[in-house]
Amino acid sequence: MKRPALWLAVFLFLISLSLIGYRVFRLGYPLFPTSPVKAWGLTMEIFFEPVGRNGKEIEIRAGLPESRPGQTVIEQRNVSGSLQFNILPEGLNQIGVWSGNPEEGRVISYRATALLNPKRLGKPKPPGPESFPAIIADKSEQIVAKRLVERWRSLNPPEKLKAIAATAKGIWRKPMPDDNDLKQWSEIQRKYGTEGALELLLRVADLPIRKVQGLVLVESVATKPDRWIAVWTGQRWKPMQAETGDLYPESVRLLPLMVGDTPLVSISGAKLQGIRWGLSKQTLSKWRAHYERIQRSTRFLDRWSLFALPKEFQENFHILLLVPIGVLMISVLRNIVGFPTFGIFMPVLMALAFRSTGLGYGLGIFAGVVSIGYMLRRGIDWLRILLVPRLSILITFVILAFTVSALIGSKLGIREFMAVGLLPFVILSMTIERFFIITEESGAFQALRTAAGSAAVAAITYKIIKIDPLQLTFFVYPELLFAIMGLLLLLGNYSGYRLSEILRFKILGETS
Amino acid sequence: MIFKHFWSLRKARVLGMNRRNAQYIMQYNPRSAYPLVDDKLLTKQLALKHGIPTPPLYHVISYHGDIAGFERALVDRQEFVLKPARGGGGSGIVLITDRRDGKFVTQSGKVISKDDIHYHISDILSGIYSLEGLEDKAVIEGLIHPDQAFGKVTYEGVPDVRIIVYLGVPAMAMVRLPTRQSDGKANLHRGAVGVGIDMGRGKTLDGVRRSGSITHHPDTGELLRDIEVPFWEKMLLMAAQSTDITGLGYLGVDLVIDKNDGPLLLELNARPGLQIQVANRKGLVERLEMIDRASKEIFNSPEKRVTWATQNFAEPSS
Repeated sequence: MKRPALWLAVFLFLISLSLIGYRVFRLGYPLFPTSPVKAWGLTMEIFFEPVGRNGKEIEIRAGLPESRPGQTVIEQRNVSGSLQFNILPEGLNQIGVWSGNPEEGRVISYRATALLNPKRLGKPKPPGPESFPAIIADKSEQIVAKRLVERWRSLNPPEKLKAIAATAKGIWRKPMPDDNDLKQWSEIQRKYGTEGALELLLRVADLPIRKVQGLVLVESVATKPDRWIAVWTGQRWKPMQAETGDLYPESVRLLPLMVGDTPLVSISGAKLQGIRWGLSKQTLSKWRAHYERIQRSTRFLDRWSLFALPKEFQENFHILLLVPIGVLMISVLRNIVGFPTFGIFMPVLMALAFRSTGLGYGLGIFAGVVSIGYMLRRGIDWLRILLVPRLSILITFVILAFTVSALIGSKLGIREFMAVGLLPFVILSMTIERFFIITEESGAFQALRTAAGSAAVAAITYKIIKIDPLQLTFFVYPELLFAIMGLLLLLGNYSGYRLSEILRFKILGETS
Repeated sequence: MIFKHFWSLRKARVLGMNRRNAQYIMQYNPRSAYPLVDDKLLTKQLALKHGIPTPPLYHVISYHGDIAGFERALVDRQEFVLKPARGGGGSGIVLITDRRDGKFVTQSGKVISKDDIHYHISDILSGIYSLEGLEDKAVIEGLIHPDQAFGKVTYEGVPDVRIIVYLGVPAMAMVRLPTRQSDGKANLHRGAVGVGIDMGRGKTLDGVRRSGSITHHPDTGELLRDIEVPFWEKMLLMAAQSTDITGLGYLGVDLVIDKNDGPLLLELNARPGLQIQVANRKGLVERLEMIDRASKEIFNSPEKRVTWATQNFAEPSS
């Protein structure tokens, strides 16, 4: 190995590695591209009926999901027609405000995608002053409640919460309160309802609480939000269902939409007809999740990312970035394995074309076009056509074959036949001519061997560039191209034997 | 498993394609010298200038418009060779041995019409046989009447001698014998037989066809071994001189032996193949490294280099 080439390769690897390292460690790019992430798709539709005369200003306010520890909202979209949409942070909540004159339509609809990342729960926000709401019960009721929870003073907050939650079902943890207190308590329960009574007990026990409206994350359609009381137990908020006092098990995940007593959806200037929340599970690849984030980022490498391109141009780069992988494959297959091929880069173009036709159909069409083309070439040989017009005839024939194939495809409904247009027609025409010449000069065996070599290289290259994670990885980390150049440099310095030479020089190896 | 195979090739000092390209061709063959050998016309002119004999040049066709005048230029020559100036691997070469009723008879006895010949010349001019697909010239030169030394082991066609020359020193040689399968052509990839030559004594060794070892010619059935190569020293000298006139450090020299004119330089190759190692049952690397280590004095003249080669590369007598 020549020293300068080795150093240059190492240098290229380092560039590539440091840029990737920066993205992974500083910008938080995922290292492994494919692990799917659980995401929830939320849809909210609010149906309303305008009141009074047409053209009256209306306003709809609704609690929306927001990013919090363990939950990231990556995409929010308003799909209502004529109303203006704004998101306002209000205390702990994100309030979506739709306002304007509804010219047509009686519905607004909103979509969001939320990612749940149980591994990165982080530190939950500790309670603030809003977690100690004023007590509405009167003094004597408070005294009763205080007496009831007094006996659990020695319990730690989670246990205390469990004891209080059980009271909603009439179960009292020992020591039992006296009958008088129990009688008074059942009256209080009747007066304030289960929820109000639980809130009272929690407040007098000095446990910080949040009253939350939101949705339990199961695939469902709901017309009413779930309500729960989140209780701070020192480290985290434990949710308790408001109406029954049931504590949610760990496995249940909740999507809070509104903290506090404010109604989840309020409307002015129109009459609320109904609300519908839909929840569905989605599986996103990590890249997509990051794509959403990267697009909004202001960091240098985030903005100098291919994600910053408009979608239609991104597609091009998905394919363009495959070419270096393809040529790397060619270099390996030719210089280390020693495949014979028609032209050097013809198999790469074939492999790229196979992306739209699929491997089986692609190879079939390739074989079909080349063999029919070969017969045509054989047939016109006696006409003695000059080289350039002759090649042009072959190109025209190839296009004709594509047309026929596409028409047959559309008759039979085989998409792959219709995708032939993307096969590299010039290359195919040259292949036909080369195939003919090799057949004439070195025999059919040699020609078939070269054709098989080309097809094998194209198929192997196709299999490699088809690996989606690889494709995505290059798209997210285009600096990998430096690494490819480094690899090519090393390959270009490989002066060892080719695999095919084992066979070619077999006699020599044996005699030694 | 694979490494074991690689190791045995390494132990046999076999030169592989990658190493040939990187270490010898790229290092010792300057790009600027390539045109001299890629164009057979230039090679011929160069050889003539330095007194190296080549087959006689009859005519050159450069433009499609000249094709029609081709017969007039032939005058009454009955036999000739038509070849592309920039062709590689023997492609596009037609040997004509006779002319009958305005038609041409090829070496293998096929009769081709005037139109066919014109069409073929037009193909040559279009560059279909040229290495890079560039426009080409058609060269018409004298037909070789091969010396009878290899007569018994040749099926039609003309056998030729290939000598690998490294830094002006002949390193390895073989004779290529046409077979029925190779259609009278002396190209190994078409199925011609390659037979190694003892550099010291100028006698043939065993043969190879495709990748298999053979001892007798497949068509004539004659023994390949121990045939004395005529003009051996002279051919080695012509090969050694080829480096001086081209400046190519790693060179394949192709020679033919004419019954009347003796050895003639047919063409030079800046990227000579590696099959010669199989024909000689010997890796090239050892000899190339011996040349690298040889004392400076032997490089003074082609004669000294040839003497050194015959002394150092002789097969051990058995």
